[in-house]
Amino acid sequence: MEKLAYPGVQETIYREVLPNGLEVVVLPKDGFSKTYATFSTRYGSIDNRFAVGGEQQISVPDGIAHFLEHKMFEEPTGDIFATFASQGASANAYTTFDRTVYLFSATEQIEANLETLINFVQSPYFTDENVEKEKGIIEQEINMYRDNADWRVYFGLIDALYQKHPIHIDIAGTAESIGKITKETLYSCYETFYHPSNMFLFIVGGVDPEKVMELVRRNQAAKQFEAQGEIKRFIDAEPEAVRTPRKTAQLPVSLPKVLFGFKENRAPLASEALLRTEVATKLMLDTLLGSSSPIYHALYDDNLISDSFGHEFNSAEDYAFSVIGGETKDPEALLTRLRSAIEEAQANGLSEAAFERTKRKKIGSYLRLLNSPEAIAGEFTRYRFRGADLFKLVPVYEAITLDEANARLREHFSWDLMAVSIVSKDPA
Amino acid sequence: MHVLPTERFKTFSISLFAGLPLAEETVTETALIPFVLRRGTEKTPETIAFRERLDDLYGAGFGFDVYKRGDAQIVQFRMDVINDKFVSADQPLLAESLKLLGEVVTAPALENGLFRDKYVEAEKDTLNKRLEAIVNDKIRYAAERCIEEMCAGEPYRLHALGQRADIASITPASLTEQYQRWLSTAAFDLYVVGDTTLAEVEQLVASAFRIPQGEPAGYSKSSDPRHVSEVNTVIERMEVNQGKLNMGLRTHTTYADDDYPAALLFNGILGGYPHSKLFLNVREKASLAYYAASRLDGHKGICTIQSGIEIGNFEKATAIIQEQLESMRAGNYSELETSQTKAMIANHLRELQDSAGEMIAYDFNSVLSGRDRSAEELLRQVQAVTNEQIAAVARKTELDTIYFLRDGKEA
Repeated sequence: MEKLAYPGVQETIYREVLPNGLEVVVLPKDGFSKTYATFSTRYGSIDNRFAVGGEQQISVPDGIAHFLEHKMFEEPTGDIFATFASQGASANAYTTFDRTVYLFSATEQIEANLETLINFVQSPYFTDENVEKEKGIIEQEINMYRDNADWRVYFGLIDALYQKHPIHIDIAGTAESIGKITKETLYSCYETFYHPSNMFLFIVGGVDPEKVMELVRRNQAAKQFEAQGEIKRFIDAEPEAVRTPRKTAQLPVSLPKVLFGFKENRAPLASEALLRTEVATKLMLDTLLGSSSPIYHALYDDNLISDSFGHEFNSAEDYAFSVIGGETKDPEALLTRLRSAIEEAQANGLSEAAFERTKRKKIGSYLRLLNSPEAIAGEFTRYRFRGADLFKLVPVYEAITLDEANARLREHFSWDLMAVSIVSKDPA
Repeated sequence: MHVLPTERFKTFSISLFAGLPLAEETVTETALIPFVLRRGTEKTPETIAFRERLDDLYGAGFGFDVYKRGDAQIVQFRMDVINDKFVSADQPLLAESLKLLGEVVTAPALENGLFRDKYVEAEKDTLNKRLEAIVNDKIRYAAERCIEEMCAGEPYRLHALGQRADIASITPASLTEQYQRWLSTAAFDLYVVGDTTLAEVEQLVASAFRIPQGEPAGYSKSSDPRHVSEVNTVIERMEVNQGKLNMGLRTHTTYADDDYPAALLFNGILGGYPHSKLFLNVREKASLAYYAASRLDGHKGICTIQSGIEIGNFEKATAIIQEQLESMRAGNYSELETSQTKAMIANHLRELQDSAGEMIAYDFNSVLSGRDRSAEELLRQVQAVTNEQIAAVARKTELDTIYFLRDGKEA
């Protein structure tokens, strides 16, 4: 077990990779009552074509990672929620583009709950009958999201930006795609992606690291896993252009919801460069468009944006895009104003004082996030899966220069790589 | 003033609660006050400079919320700032944060003694947009419509953000007047959680807040709601894909009552968790819904049920939910259901102290209800609840309103 101390954020983690390939990290938090554990696999909605160790390539229906997440909670003995409840733990799971995370939070019976978490995720139980039954539940989940304007405008934007990359697929799939899911397809996904060598266990809370690690070691040593070859994921080359510059949907909303996004086409970056580029872009966007920026205030004063106006930047090895917007009475006017403000900033550069202030603000909100065991577990895993370390972010923020942010400002906004997604009550 | 000293967090968390009785005449103006206050202070009247001051405090979190608790309308300001020991701050961050909050609340930006016209007009517009936007989130919209129908004759029918029809006539003069009344008559409670002491906070607050003269106000007990003579069924139509089924029940038990712990068990066994009756029977057994849950509003004594279903399944889902209520009344729950629910509530109560915000919210319950009950005490009371006490809550709980939001097509 290796011990890693991070004096800057006053945290210490304990890490070990078990013989079967499972990576385990424990973060003891003095004075905390609860323990929060996440058991995650590098498997999400984008992993729809894959092969293991030179075997034949498999294509699976859209939404299957999320479907699998639902089905893991069922055991031959019934629902695993009941077991967690008997042990006073609250359990849950979620699926993103690139990972599936199972979790519990508890203040007592930590060892029993940790065993339950590991064991239920490592014992799939799919039958023709329980797979069929789940389809009704997930169809209602899909219907719930169809009525959710924020969700629709967000995924509408990604769908407008990407032609081939599976990031444009809805995480839950569609009623039609999940209709094709069978217990056999679930088992083949399970066996590929839930191998310990593809997974990561993170435990944070008032725990003794050596005791916890020993529990996990014993648990895993008692199970048999055949060694697995490398998982290969297949993604078609993404064309440079956006799929469509404008995508609209009609829903009963009070004001149109509008998101603008810019797609970046670039060679894949190594993890360190990827992180640095992401942080520089986020600092640039917040300096330019954040709630303290002159642009934000001018647009707010002119009633073109509301408090809901925001921005984000998402990137991974093979995709990178921004999301900017909120609700507005006039999408066209908002875009025109944003464009001229961005072009002006591209010509003049960002203000140094505003850039330094944004840096401080971002470091502050990062440190505030470290109060929350849930946020730490989620973010630590997210960064780990892309080869980075959550606890080493402050120096990365501090190292970004104004020149770097200005370079990102000039590179990122290519007007011909922009798409717009609008949800409004009017027909398109 | 409430200070909860602890070294667990990397921050200082500050909350200021201001409560007034919910009333039709004042609800909208009171809701507008924090929107205008966050635009600037006497010392930093321009919004952009005000936001920059927050950014300079290492991006201090600053926000507010307006909501209902019992028959009170609460405005809550929140600040969250880094403990100086993690950064090389050139100013003491807790002191600066309290100073800023004190300015926001007691020394706002005024012109000739009135709120700035520009801020009042812009924030009237923002408030109006917020009220109009409630319909955008169908789950929340259906929940609020159910309460509005259920409490038609009570102040609780009002939305915490007020009424759109009142906004147009608000002027800087009328709003400033309501602000001054609010400042002198609302019940103010300030909380600080972090590595500090009551003495330090008292000293900082004394210089940061211009506290008006007079007796501090408190909260009065929520009015005892009427009994139900007939279940009210409301069906509303809109362009939706999924039907939203909501129910409102009167438990006739509030936070201050001795049977409040039994009411927590009632709600937990019925629909508070994924092991509860609603989740098991509506979702897992019948596959009718993705979510089916209940929630207890302890200050108003209302329990609400919510589920998203296929529109054609309205009768089926309603019948299954009614069966669960009936089995609660009959005391049909196993030892296992009770012990699981007790374990979940206990877990929640123990977890509170890991979050500064939750610690504050829990403690504020005793201010609101007038009943001082520590989390440890409530935990002991929950453990001691008997099945008969839960059934007693179930038997006095009355289904008041069934609300269904469905598609736009007339049958």
